[in-house]
Amino acid sequence: MDFSYSEEQQDVQKLAQQILTDKASNERLQQLEAQGAIYDIELWQLLAEAGLLGVAIEEQYGGMDFGYETLCLVVEEMGRSAAPLPLIPLMVSTALSLQQFADEDIKKEYLPKMVSGNCLLTTAMIEPGNENMAKPQTSAERQGDSWLITGTKYCVPYADNAERILLSAQTKEGLAIFLVNPQNPNVKMKRQYVTVTEAQYEVVLNGAETEQLIVLGEKAITLTSLCQQRVAAAYCAMAVGLCDKMMRLTASYTSEREQFGRAIATFQAVGHRVADCYIDIDCLRLVTQQAVSQLDSASDATEPVMTAKIWAGDVLHRVSQASQHLHGGIGVDRDYPLFRYSLWAKQIELSCGSSAELLSELGARIAVHSEPM
Amino acid sequence: MHIQFTQEQLALRKKVKSYMEQLMTPALCEESKDPEFFEGGGPEYFKALRQLGKDGWISLGWPKELGGQGATALDQYIFVEEVMRAGFQYPFLTTDAVGPVLASHARNDIQRSLVQQILQGEIVVAIGYSEPSAGTDLASLKTKAVRDGDHWLINGQKIWTSLGDFSEYIWLAVRTDPDPDKRHKGITMFLVPTASEGFSITPIKTLGVRTNATYYENIRLSDEYRVGEVNQGWKLITGQLNRERLALVNHGPIELLYDDVRHWAAQTRHANGKTLIDLPWVRSNLAKVKIGLEALKLICLRQAWAMSQDTLQMADASAAKVYGTEFFVEAYRLLMEIMGQAGTLQEGSPGAVLQGRLEHRYRCGSILTFGGGTNEIQKEIIAGAGLWMPRSR
Repeated sequence: MDFSYSEEQQDVQKLAQQILTDKASNERLQQLEAQGAIYDIELWQLLAEAGLLGVAIEEQYGGMDFGYETLCLVVEEMGRSAAPLPLIPLMVSTALSLQQFADEDIKKEYLPKMVSGNCLLTTAMIEPGNENMAKPQTSAERQGDSWLITGTKYCVPYADNAERILLSAQTKEGLAIFLVNPQNPNVKMKRQYVTVTEAQYEVVLNGAETEQLIVLGEKAITLTSLCQQRVAAAYCAMAVGLCDKMMRLTASYTSEREQFGRAIATFQAVGHRVADCYIDIDCLRLVTQQAVSQLDSASDATEPVMTAKIWAGDVLHRVSQASQHLHGGIGVDRDYPLFRYSLWAKQIELSCGSSAELLSELGARIAVHSEPM
Repeated sequence: MHIQFTQEQLALRKKVKSYMEQLMTPALCEESKDPEFFEGGGPEYFKALRQLGKDGWISLGWPKELGGQGATALDQYIFVEEVMRAGFQYPFLTTDAVGPVLASHARNDIQRSLVQQILQGEIVVAIGYSEPSAGTDLASLKTKAVRDGDHWLINGQKIWTSLGDFSEYIWLAVRTDPDPDKRHKGITMFLVPTASEGFSITPIKTLGVRTNATYYENIRLSDEYRVGEVNQGWKLITGQLNRERLALVNHGPIELLYDDVRHWAAQTRHANGKTLIDLPWVRSNLAKVKIGLEALKLICLRQAWAMSQDTLQMADASAAKVYGTEFFVEAYRLLMEIMGQAGTLQEGSPGAVLQGRLEHRYRCGSILTFGGGTNEIQKEIIAGAGLWMPRSR
């Protein structure tokens, strides 16, 4: 048993922390928000140059091959900085799925440019009223060497800037996963404004043509389940960074802020609420580490991921509200950084399954696995 | 990061498990149902404890230089878990708090022989810390010892002296410097034989188990029973705290209860004809216990691992104590809700579920949030040592 990260993993995390602390200052993020920037392209390039986009990509495609767990350390740092970066849609959902399931020519075509920061690919995880990527309403029909895809995808991050969208569709031969070019004339996109600034789109496919079938049948089901688990666990890692930063902002603000002639942190009602956040985050970190490390070692991570996401939903909510509350008015002021973290907290809380839904799913699994005595 | 047990650790677990199965004889199980022996102390209990000593288990976590086997904190955690799952009332405070401290300070034949008796499972030692007016603020204790040549004269009163009714000794914290400015620096540790003239004990019946008040009236005790230097007792009290607190929140017993309740719910019908485990609220309660349990297990294993690496942070140890004890209380409630009113049936009553164990745990569980360092103080430590927030006034 070992709860520590290897030296190379620690180096990666430190490097990410250094770049993000340096470049994602509150002023910079405000500037990007004023410009309505979709993401921080300069910072994205810097991370690419430092090799950080490719930490989980094999060396032959320009990556470092340090694995999913190491990538999640970069994701955690991204959360800590609240910088607008397409790391999860690009590297977790799309690149890792392609790396594991796509043919060599697809991998050679896309992975190196994704790693070098020169191209965005994204994944459509959900549909209207349907958050299960393995059971899409979207369908695909064979036409010669290509496929025609029809259906609607919701909340596809960066779809308008993406060179390809990875998506699932039902075919006569079973579930299939495709890459689709969003510039195809039979694809219509509409921006969906969500709680965070991330650009998300409704993508309507009306017989959109593609030749890029990634996998079909059983393998497609495995891809969707791994993709959903990896994204959920990566969101949990991001939640660790977000919550830790919210708590530390709160600890230092309440240590400075004076009322009734004393720092408000010296009121036990205040100190203990922050201590409760500390305990919550410790639990979240541990269940997240467990889920991430299980996924990294390719063992079944279904329950660990559910557990981590339930904790993430609860802890994001509690820490965000406690931080807002203990800051008072300054916490909601957009000149102060806390609001970004709170918005991301709500965004992640409701992504990849809410706590209530997952608790119910977990309960059903427990029931199946409980034999009479 | 690799959050899995090694083959050696799994082998140790298996070994302890099968050992404990043998140790828990029908006679011992029967004896431990007697309320008087809920916490041990009967003849079968001491027979088993001596066997544990003879087979070398008591010395497992002791440092090698003190005659122990130097097992890591993780191995020790596994041992504790299996002993607790087996339901044996292992005297952790004697074997893992007092024992090693005494061994490292033993300075005469009496003390060295006591160490041997502890290692052989011959004796149990009760903790004499709290007083009626010294609880969380332990350093305000007033029981005093005054030097009288080669002897000391001890006077005072202790409370919550659990196991005192079958202990050979009390591990007693007393004031040896009355100077009010030397609160922590005026405390000395003694081992007081319960056979001493002037020692008396009265039971305190609690919500859960029996504990005691103990009285020290002009006890004349040889200096040979003093442990450590005069006025240096505080370090002896706090030296083993993290180990003690970790044993306090071990996840084994609650995991066992969770497993038993879900299997019970899978075979029990609700009045509406459905199996309990098919009811949404039952599943929801089980899932809530499960996610809390996962976190507890990880928090404990991480702490044991950090202790093995000598990297344990004070705030994290406090976080484990608060989380674990509050989770126990919540988990007992969630699991008892599944049983409904049957959850109130005590052991031995017709219809008692799972031998009334949860009913009993509920009654014992409320001491945990304040025992072993009350949770508010742990939160002060987290805010101060973990987050550098200024201390409350």
